[in-house]
Amino acid sequence: MSNKPTPVASHELWLPPMQQRIFCDLLHVFSYPGRVAECTAGSMTWLALLAALTDGEVALADPHGQIRADIWPRLEARSGMPETAPFIVADGGRAMDFQPCTGSLESPETGATLLLRVASLGEHSEGGVLLNLSGPGIQGNTELPVSGLHPSWLFARAGLVAAFPPGVDLLLCDERRFAALPRTTHIKTGDII
Amino acid sequence: MNMHYELPLEEAGYSFGFLDEYAKKEVRRTILKAICIPGYQTPYASREMPMGRGFGTGGLQVTLALIGPDDTLKVIDQGSDDSVNAVNLRQFVQLTCPGVEVTEKQEEATLIQSRHRIPEVALTEAQVLVLQVPYPDPLVVVEPSEARRKIMHAEADYSRLLVKLYEDIVHFDEITISHRYPTRINRHYVIDPSPIPRWDVPKLDQSPALILLGAGREKKIYAVPPYTVAEPLVFDDVPFRVEDFRDARGERRACARCGATDSFLDEYCDDTNAKIYQCSDSAYCGGQLVLQQRETTA
Repeated sequence: MSNKPTPVASHELWLPPMQQRIFCDLLHVFSYPGRVAECTAGSMTWLALLAALTDGEVALADPHGQIRADIWPRLEARSGMPETAPFIVADGGRAMDFQPCTGSLESPETGATLLLRVASLGEHSEGGVLLNLSGPGIQGNTELPVSGLHPSWLFARAGLVAAFPPGVDLLLCDERRFAALPRTTHIKTGDII
Repeated sequence: MNMHYELPLEEAGYSFGFLDEYAKKEVRRTILKAICIPGYQTPYASREMPMGRGFGTGGLQVTLALIGPDDTLKVIDQGSDDSVNAVNLRQFVQLTCPGVEVTEKQEEATLIQSRHRIPEVALTEAQVLVLQVPYPDPLVVVEPSEARRKIMHAEADYSRLLVKLYEDIVHFDEITISHRYPTRINRHYVIDPSPIPRWDVPKLDQSPALILLGAGREKKIYAVPPYTVAEPLVFDDVPFRVEDFRDARGERRACARCGATDSFLDEYCDDTNAKIYQCSDSAYCGGQLVLQQRETTA
């Protein structure tokens, strides 16, 4: 029997039971950085994650125009600037072209969560890169293959998280899967696959 | 006023998990940030719950934000499944979360809410432990201003806390903190690990399970992520030690009920006013008795 989740109708993304299940997967990937979760919603992972995380209380920045106009009212989130918004969704294949908020020394929780859409995650695909990870949530170290992630993101992230506790937290997702890289995770960029 | 008015059914009921979806999402966002910044007391808008603050509202809000119909919940208070606080919280979750299973067996639980104890049996990756916290900030004993405490935490400046521990050594020849022992997480933030005994502090280190701590009255959530370094604050020449359960002859006291010599013991007085010791974790104690019965009948 396949372990892949059955694709669900898109309207279920907006219902509390689905959002609770997606949050549990988010809790898992943030607790164990580098582990890849299959999206319970089946597809449109990035939208399922945003639906589970945002509401009218938060601002969401979309510098690369990922969100269709008719989706915004359903997300309820306010449209914000990438320099100040707590949530940012961006195309990971493009070079990073903004400076996200890292929070302050006293309030590091205001550092942004970046949701980056990549080509594939958790499987070795041509042109991808192998990330070697260590830090809280990881026993020893682990590897995460990613493809379709512009090198500028990892380079910029290294600078943004250098002065812990301020920093940014990354969520990478492809069409069906997602993984997290909290600010505490040490990343060594490995071989090009 | 119409005396026969009744709320329409869909409005009379509470949503799954009592909290509205906006409250749950806010708590969930806070939990994720707390995991990303291990040990940092992440502020959140703690909601009014139908029980007094100080009765586990912080832990309960975390539990209600996490729980789904597929979860199995265990609630313990000072190690016991049957004390008033545990029974009340368990009944509240059963009332507001239809479909959720409750259990007293640790191995069946996916979510464990606890007051003042970490269970004896090691947690697994499939479990999340939620601890109820009365006072989240270990620096409150040395600095009254929260604004200054936040800067001290950010800079990992715990010198005044170390002086407090040193004063204990000067006065009493040892650090006298029996519970809420200041513990450093991921070599930066020092947390108040809730009023767990010293016995439980080593269980925070490299735990396979995520540990979340919720303080409802103080409106803070913080986390000890899995496989994270958690070190009690000590001096190089005064090592941390847990409770000593040896008697005057130097023998380790055993539980009066199950005979276990590897668990945290509570002290009681029997009918003759003599001291007896019993496992604090009632489910562990019961499990040991079942094992012994099986061995006897086999």
